Amino acid sequence: MGVDTLLLALIDGVSYAGLLFLVALGLTFIFGVVRVLNVAHGSLYAFGGYSAASMGIWFAQGAGSITLSILALILGAGIVGVILGYGLMLLLHRFRDRDPIIQLLVTFGAFMVLEDVQVMIWGTQPYFVSDVMFQMGDTSLLGVVFMNYQLWFIPSVALGVYVLLRWFLKHSLKGRQIIAVTHDREVATALGVNAGRIASFTFIIGASLGALGGALASPTTSLVPGVGADMIVLSFAVVATAGLGQISGALIVALMIGIARSLSVYFLPQFEVVMPYLIMMAVLLIRPQGLFTVAEARRI
Amino acid sequence: MLKLENVSARIDNVEVLRNISVELPGGSIVAVVGRNGAGKTTLLKAIMGLLNLEEGDISFEGQSLSKVKAYERVLLGIGYAPQERVMFPSMTVEENLRFPCQIARYSKEQIAERLKLTLEIVPQLEELLPRSGAALSGGQGKMAALGRALMVGSHMVLLDEPFQGLAPALAAQYSDALQRLHKKMPDLSIVITESNAGLLKDIPDKVMYIERGALLPEPAVSESTNESAVGAQL
Repeated sequence: MGVDTLLLALIDGVSYAGLLFLVALGLTFIFGVVRVLNVAHGSLYAFGGYSAASMGIWFAQGAGSITLSILALILGAGIVGVILGYGLMLLLHRFRDRDPIIQLLVTFGAFMVLEDVQVMIWGTQPYFVSDVMFQMGDTSLLGVVFMNYQLWFIPSVALGVYVLLRWFLKHSLKGRQIIAVTHDREVATALGVNAGRIASFTFIIGASLGALGGALASPTTSLVPGVGADMIVLSFAVVATAGLGQISGALIVALMIGIARSLSVYFLPQFEVVMPYLIMMAVLLIRPQGLFTVAEARRI
Repeated sequence: MLKLENVSARIDNVEVLRNISVELPGGSIVAVVGRNGAGKTTLLKAIMGLLNLEEGDISFEGQSLSKVKAYERVLLGIGYAPQERVMFPSMTVEENLRFPCQIARYSKEQIAERLKLTLEIVPQLEELLPRSGAALSGGQGKMAALGRALMVGSHMVLLDEPFQGLAPALAAQYSDALQRLHKKMPDLSIVITESNAGLLKDIPDKVMYIERGALLPEPAVSESTNESAVGAQL
């Protein structure tokens, strides 16, 4: 095992963890308020990626402008987050008082439909728009060349989103209303919080985070049908390992899983696929409530 | 005045409130006493709009609440202290107290005034203000929940089993706080639910009994302020 390979694995792992964190953050954020594990979150990731790539082709490709390329990523994610997120929220709203299993199945059904919609819009040919990655240049560390996009940009965006979200939840009235609804929807309502409006707002923020993950991933990978399914399963692993609704926990577990997966790719390739789930199983066997959830005494 | 007319409600097809009709005059302290599961909490939730009524109407100060959404009832000056002490753990006690006022768009001066009044009524909260909402004992949580209800409860406060689980010393402090509240705000209506009538002592002006979601005939306070008397009623 060379130091350069180890470094390569670590940087790849951190970059992938950034994407994984953004998607898992959206998923856990929505779950906290709406109490639904949204399988269709994978579609938000896929649509975010395709949408950003389409935006890139439409107005940024060949223009040579980093600003335009980044704008394409943000617009791609934002449009999907707001439109698709709002649509999914309206769909779930119709089932809001139903059994959680029904709600889960509804999001699964939506995911299946959106997979087909995605193929209808973008086809089955791989999409790959990587201009922004090359526009940002590269950096040599210990003789290994890394793309700045993966080395700095993705981890910085993920960390920035985390810090911003923490600040927003702690210091803004809207953020505190989200915390209140997450903690106890009924009491929050009795204190004057319009829980329905807060849930809608949270859903769209969470959906946008999923789409942002896809948009940021789009320059680094070929977008093909099924890309959303891969990411949503991994995000479930992050959220389950961290504990549902745990934002800081999701950051740490995304790093753990991202790096472990990357190390597997380089050193134990046969374990690449199974590694995140091995971590999840190991954690849940010891702490069934997740790594960062404080166990509560069961009320009887 | 709070008026309930033929109020009935169901949860999962089970009738949890049955044809409740009662008038609670403004400025009164009314206790609703009943066993666990009798419908005390459900009754308060119905008043707060947290439960859809199957039949009947609830009006407050002459205004029907049927069109007033649950989150808008705070604006009518109704404060609610739930049975479980629910202080939001990521906020300090002071932030928890200010929270409903901020949502109701009180001015900074109004919030400061309400906080001052609340601390006069519940002085124990003064030293708890900087503490995290997660770092309160059961009794402190009950006090803080009372304080939070008072921050917006300018016309009525609903206190759900405030004495349950309180040590005798804390229960006495809570009683004192209610006495001070009644003295300082004589027009404020207070509705208290409790499973043990003996804990209420001479606080309420009126005691009502609830069983299986229905109000029972009202005995005078002096006639039954202990559990055995309640048991005899049931």
